[in-house]
Amino acid sequence: MHDLPWLLKSADDFNERCARLLNHASPDAEAQLLANYALSINQSNRLYQTLQKFDPEKRAIFSRNLIPFKLGIVSNATMDLMIPAMITAALRYGIELEVIRADFGQVAQEAFDPASKLNQSNLDAVLLALDYRAYSVLVNEPEYSGGNDPGLDALGYLQQIQQSFALNGKTICIVQTLAHPPYELSGNLDAQLSGLLRKSLNVFNSALIENIKNSADVLFDVATLANTVGTHQWFDERQWYMSRVPIANGYIPLYTDYLAKLLAAIRGKSRKCLVLDLDNTLWGGVIGDDGLEGIQIGQGHPVGESFLAIQQWAKSLKALGIILTVCSKNDKVVALEAFQKHPGMLLKEDDFAVFMANWEDKASNIRKIAAILNIGMDAMVFVDDNPAEREIIRTMIPEISVPELPKDPSQFLRVLCAARYFEKIDFTTDDAQRNAQYADNARRQAMLQKAPSLTDYLISLEMKIHFAPFNETGRKRIVQLINKTNQFNLTTRRYTEADVLGFEKSGSYLTLQVQLQDKFGDNGMISVVICKNAGDCWEIDTWLMSCRVIKRRVEEAVCDELVAIARSKGIEKLRGYYRPTEKNKLVKNHYQQLGFVLISSDGSEDIWELETEHYQPKHPPIAIQNSLLDQTTHERSEIDG
Amino acid sequence: MHQDKATIRDQLELIFQDTFVESNLAFSMDTRRDDVAEWDSLSHIRLLTAIEASFGVQFDLEEIVSMTSVAAIVDLLYEKLN
Repeated sequence: MHDLPWLLKSADDFNERCARLLNHASPDAEAQLLANYALSINQSNRLYQTLQKFDPEKRAIFSRNLIPFKLGIVSNATMDLMIPAMITAALRYGIELEVIRADFGQVAQEAFDPASKLNQSNLDAVLLALDYRAYSVLVNEPEYSGGNDPGLDALGYLQQIQQSFALNGKTICIVQTLAHPPYELSGNLDAQLSGLLRKSLNVFNSALIENIKNSADVLFDVATLANTVGTHQWFDERQWYMSRVPIANGYIPLYTDYLAKLLAAIRGKSRKCLVLDLDNTLWGGVIGDDGLEGIQIGQGHPVGESFLAIQQWAKSLKALGIILTVCSKNDKVVALEAFQKHPGMLLKEDDFAVFMANWEDKASNIRKIAAILNIGMDAMVFVDDNPAEREIIRTMIPEISVPELPKDPSQFLRVLCAARYFEKIDFTTDDAQRNAQYADNARRQAMLQKAPSLTDYLISLEMKIHFAPFNETGRKRIVQLINKTNQFNLTTRRYTEADVLGFEKSGSYLTLQVQLQDKFGDNGMISVVICKNAGDCWEIDTWLMSCRVIKRRVEEAVCDELVAIARSKGIEKLRGYYRPTEKNKLVKNHYQQLGFVLISSDGSEDIWELETEHYQPKHPPIAIQNSLLDQTTHERSEIDG
Repeated sequence: MHQDKATIRDQLELIFQDTFVESNLAFSMDTRRDDVAEWDSLSHIRLLTAIEASFGVQFDLEEIVSMTSVAAIVDLLYEKLN
């Protein structure tokens, strides 16, 4: 958790980008991009030091779209190390944080003296960064002789501080629950015996949480944070004894990120909408290919249960007021059927405020969802297992939150929860949030117009395509694709391995197997084409493609290749067939989009033709790594027939 | 896993470059804490965290106190790694 796993790891050129930030044309956007990485404490420090060097003109540009927040800090520990990380974490949430730090240990003085630095600073909030070591009564003292439980006496002291800042500084306090240090005297008795530290801390924490409900102050539940991390990791005695650093340095990015989320929530910048992918996000498998019986969701199956846990989480968030929506590349009827008919499905159709299942690009769909709900992109969280989809959404919609996810779906929930997207300070700030969002609308419109195009994104994917005729190496995967692919499949003809071997060896068929790589890795074999030679015409018996590379113009690259081979063989015409099924509506207009002309159409088959002579190559942004045109003449002669 | 001092020194130099922001950092086996203005008690903690993460080691409190020069850190790491 210390490395903020829901954020992208920082780019290799992070230090160089920091150096260039001073001369950057859009220092605000670039600084926010840099802040959005999972920054180590050294990286936070570097970015922070760079921000300090802006001249007034750049500073003004940097600040123009940020929300200012002035935070005072008092502590019984050294907070200096945390300040760079606090400021960069706040930037992550669109906040320009200014920190006014009291001198080391000056807690009571700052609070009680109306003329103190913090009381005179017109603060938005004071962070009372106190751990158990700040309270003299929070020690193991079985014979405690104070009036109350020591936990309550400690809380009484804290409340005096809170009241003084309210009175003298006219500011709210952010107050911390206390992490339990990993020490004890007896064991189980420590939680029971009055005067022992564990009991006192439990009393303190529950009384603090109870009392905060009736105050304007805000809770920072550090005890829970430390428990989630593990107190053996959270505390580091060496750093405390060396420099009075209150928590292990490695957890400063986490502590400051959670603090920044809280500041954002105070400012009404909470997220309120969850946008969910379906296949391999809300269930295991691909509904369009695997069918209702093939997907994994529900009790009784380990993988199905891991997805059920995600659905349970989403359902509970809905009860907390979070809007649930779907954004999935799927046939809507097929996708809805899963929610209507699958017995393992916890979420139902009516749990979703908007259900976008179609073949449009997801960025457009998310914009539509935002428009329908009338919320800002920065109020949305987009969850998708596919790294390429995450990348495109981050690029096209920089304001939306897109968590990184691990490979293993059983670990999704940990990361999603650790990301703490739905930090709220209470239930009554919704109206205030909405107002703030309206005010931001104009700025969002401006950003939309600057968003990079889909083509830019496709170029950035650095795709490489590889064509080959059927061969022994590919045969098993070809058979698998032919028998599994339902959606991007023009004719849905199923063939056995013997059939495929037949096409491979026959002189009267042209066969293509297609592999695709991109910067995220090797997608493997993703497309298969089989053409039957009918004199001066090739009849496209089979054309299918894996859904994972849809909307990347791969089919255009395949068509360019196919036509080029056909021309080189003197073939004048390509004839394509679309045979509709329940699941392949996606490719109804496939041939039309490639420039084929409709020859005939009845309910069971559309026939399309293309004059190879008049074909305009599409040249999508995909590099051709290997073409059949490069193959030996020996192989070509085989397909001449 | 055996690592010689030159390899350790090179890996350490990268960590120093990450930890200390000033670009004109002089780094050599002779560099001492007193020579680097930025190397104060707090950046010492950042340095410590980065070294521990990068080399996968943990230093004792006394060792942390004794890390007052590049040579001392290289010696400590050499001892721990071999």
